[in-house]
Amino acid sequence: MVLDMDPLFLAWSYFRRRKFQTCSELCSEILEKSPYDQAAWSLKTRALTEIVYVDEVDVDQEGIAEMMLDDHAIAQVARPGTSLKLPGTSQGGGPSPAVRPVTHAGRPITGFVRPSTQSGRPGTMEQAIKTPRTAHTARPVSSASGRYVRLGTASMLTSPDGPFINLSRLNLAKYAQKPNLSKALFEYIFHHENDVKNALELAALSTEHAQFKDWWWKVQLGKCYYRLGLLREAEKQFKSALKQQDMVDTFLFLTKVYIRLDQPLAALNLLKQGLDVFPREVTLLTGIARIYEEMNNITSATEYYKEVLKQDNTHVEAIACIGSNHFYTDQPEIALRFYRRLLQMGVYNCQLYNNLGLCCFYAQQYDMTLSSFERALSLAANDEEVADVWYNLGHVAIGIGDSNLAYQCFKLALANNNDHAEAYNNLAVLELRKGRIEQVRFFSGYLYGILCMFRLN
Amino acid sequence: MSGSENKDINEVNSKWLDAHYDPVANLYTFSSCVALADLNGDGESKLVVGDLGSGASNMKLKVFKGTSLMTENTLLDLPTGLVAFHMDQNEPRTPAIAVASGPFIYVYKNLRPYFKFTLPPLEVNELEQEVWSQAREDKIDPMSLKEMLEGIRNKAQVPLSVRSLKFLMLEHQDMESFVNMHKQQPIRRQTVITCIGTLKKNMADEDAVSCLVIGTENMEIYVLDPEAFTILSKISLPSTPAFMDVTGQFDVEFRITVACRNGNIYILRRDSKKPKYCIELSSHAVGLVRVNKNIVVGCTQETLHGCTQKGKKLWTTYLPASIVTMGLMDHKSRGFQAVLVGLANSEVHMYRDKNLVNIIKTQDVITSICFGKYGREDGSLIMTTKGGGLIIKILKRTAVFDEKDTTPGPPVAQSVKLNVPKKTKLYVDQTMRERENAVAMHRAFQMDLYRLRLTAARAYVKALESNLTPMSSSASEPLKMNAVVQGLGPSFKLTLNIQNTSVCRPSMNLAISFWYDEKLYSLKTSFFKIPLLVPGLNYPIDTFVECLSDKGISDVIKVFVLQIGRSNPLLTAHINMPVSEGMALC
Repeated sequence: MVLDMDPLFLAWSYFRRRKFQTCSELCSEILEKSPYDQAAWSLKTRALTEIVYVDEVDVDQEGIAEMMLDDHAIAQVARPGTSLKLPGTSQGGGPSPAVRPVTHAGRPITGFVRPSTQSGRPGTMEQAIKTPRTAHTARPVSSASGRYVRLGTASMLTSPDGPFINLSRLNLAKYAQKPNLSKALFEYIFHHENDVKNALELAALSTEHAQFKDWWWKVQLGKCYYRLGLLREAEKQFKSALKQQDMVDTFLFLTKVYIRLDQPLAALNLLKQGLDVFPREVTLLTGIARIYEEMNNITSATEYYKEVLKQDNTHVEAIACIGSNHFYTDQPEIALRFYRRLLQMGVYNCQLYNNLGLCCFYAQQYDMTLSSFERALSLAANDEEVADVWYNLGHVAIGIGDSNLAYQCFKLALANNNDHAEAYNNLAVLELRKGRIEQVRFFSGYLYGILCMFRLN
Repeated sequence: MSGSENKDINEVNSKWLDAHYDPVANLYTFSSCVALADLNGDGESKLVVGDLGSGASNMKLKVFKGTSLMTENTLLDLPTGLVAFHMDQNEPRTPAIAVASGPFIYVYKNLRPYFKFTLPPLEVNELEQEVWSQAREDKIDPMSLKEMLEGIRNKAQVPLSVRSLKFLMLEHQDMESFVNMHKQQPIRRQTVITCIGTLKKNMADEDAVSCLVIGTENMEIYVLDPEAFTILSKISLPSTPAFMDVTGQFDVEFRITVACRNGNIYILRRDSKKPKYCIELSSHAVGLVRVNKNIVVGCTQETLHGCTQKGKKLWTTYLPASIVTMGLMDHKSRGFQAVLVGLANSEVHMYRDKNLVNIIKTQDVITSICFGKYGREDGSLIMTTKGGGLIIKILKRTAVFDEKDTTPGPPVAQSVKLNVPKKTKLYVDQTMRERENAVAMHRAFQMDLYRLRLTAARAYVKALESNLTPMSSSASEPLKMNAVVQGLGPSFKLTLNIQNTSVCRPSMNLAISFWYDEKLYSLKTSFFKIPLLVPGLNYPIDTFVECLSDKGISDVIKVFVLQIGRSNPLLTAHINMPVSEGMALC
């Protein structure tokens, strides 16, 4: 006879081993037997939350509505160096935008794609809606819809026989009295159900019950306010939480608020304060580096990324950013080292091989150049990546003086990505070399059209 | 003067305002005898000029205020130098004027004679003294006196006095009277001052007490105490000084740069009794100006040399005419320093380092030049001409002198240093690898290149065959298209802009078709014909797309432009559809 393990204990074990699906199924069985088992109920909420959990710090999407109807902006034109929204105000040295490519919004291209690397604001609502809002480039209309919806669709997909918890029937005031249940419930509502309104209500009731002494609830309140776009209220909650308890997370959330308010200097100050409390904390250092990078202060950004690497020498973002910075400051051989390090760490994708190929070419390691690009082509996951590889191959072809090959490469870049403005530009230059003015006009007309579209974004 | 020339001059002079020109001001002077000083302490600078008159008479000390002569004092002899300096700490801080003339320095305070300094007498040749004492006692006649003096002149170490030299110049009949007139006075030998300058005593302030520095004919430099007029320091030179520039403070450290008549420039320092550095010029100096820490010397060979403080030559420029005078332009409020060179072709060239930054054409040859505060205007340029004229110009506030040389030559960008990063060890290692494996690397690269050409050609042909590009490459139907998506969803408006890019041929029989995922999107009309396309015009074509999914996903819609009767599309465009947000609202 096999001795059965206590099912709750088994569920716990599953949970700890991150087998959330099995855990939640097991909990459902327990709940069928005894519907009022609070432990199983709580465990199931946690398992369901974990399935869809995304670190809130890294989720950021500023919708068009937030951007256009921004009532936090004090000045239309901020002073240089105090805003993230003024592109091209470099203060920290580093290569000029002429050397280092910029995004469509005028910020330097970073070595690492992360939320909000493509920002900047359109002039009018019409421009905002007209811009090519593809799944890659565009922002949603409001952050409450868009991506959060996709994050929150879990509630609609998973359970065939209705949701696990019916929020409308829940007596939030009752749960707020039970601190051991309410926290799990909150996370469930916030992450799984994506129902910020109810989450806020629960958090408000709970913090009241805790007599405003629990910093955790304050942080959750702040998160809810941030989601709802009530930035000043969020700031108040986070600050109050920080007064009670210094937490890295709270610092990061408050930073997010400041960045949303377009106060990068306040954000930097805050992060540096955080570093006083948590010396050499990697996430704080990364935050500082990111802000410097967005403010086009590449020198300081690199310094902080280097500091990050001292603490965590497998930090992909820092390696990639330092690498790209070396590449654009004419030291491709050092960039090559950094990218090779990424490769050793197991990053294996099209972009990395693309970079490796370029670095090899400019560092005169010709034997590895084309094989890297070849591998990049085979690893490309979508048309945009293929276009980028062909575009770089076009540059290599120009470098070896084969304009015919270059022409084909740029054309292929265009075939894969119709909006590849740089390829249009280079094609026009190639045609001009050949003296085919008609074609030049053709390409530059295109280029103009694309630039007009993207200037707005 | 023709109109075009006039215009030309105006254009060149656009950086200066013509404040005053008096061609008959009757001012004959050199740059060393011109100074600007606030003599009354009222904040208005006056122009002080030691006028040489006709060279024999009419020597005057003139003071100008604005455009008119304020006062004039008669000078006894030709002035050789004129400086304004502060000699005491008294309030108000009004400067005194020192005029060097012969062996004397006349000091004027409040434009009244205040003090006369005489250079110490030199030792007299004993033989000469002996001869003259014999003449006094009528032991020798003038002829033998002349012979003996000539003998002394040729042999003696100590040169003859002025009286003896004058005597030797005389005609035979005048000798008797000359001897009778002078024989009773004792013989004295005096040197004369050749140049004068000022040196701050112990403070660097603008109105600090300054010592006078004088260079004399007998190859010496004296530094005089500003109050007692005693000789503080005496330095010997190998030659007679002609031009002098002084910088520093007497009690701390100073540097005297002297251009001498032997064609050398000597640089003296505080501690050394002998010249510290020597610059040997290829020709004689006609002007000496210090700009910041460098010395600019004008030479008789129509050249301008720039040297460092230690005598190292930096640059040489060649001028179109010989130099008449030189002056420093020091615009303190703008921090701008340049050298003004008056040339014999009636031009004043302004040099910043070796770059010619401005040319001023003048009505006459300029003999003296002085830049500074005149009246209340900071940037005034005072010039006097060979014909006795006075020119006053004011620097325009908007005037900017760019670094660029006005003369042709390599562009400025050529001299801008590129920010080349340091050569890393890694780079060296890699070049080593490259050198060692050159053949293998080349072969690998060539092989990869062939393969790449093949891949590229294959992909290119595939793209051409299926017309994947958003522009038609066929010669018969050159078309281009771009697409704009508007709306939030679930229904979008898709606008296609189609343009015929040929020069004169219209396009006909065209149609548009779409390819899309039918589970995700629905189009009202997924196929329609396009009207005749007139070349160059933009045809916007609208259609509506409905998004059927509520899962917040998006896909690509492909647009094909087709020609009736052809199986291949003319061109293809991919439209990345935005995420439909309409479902969030319901």
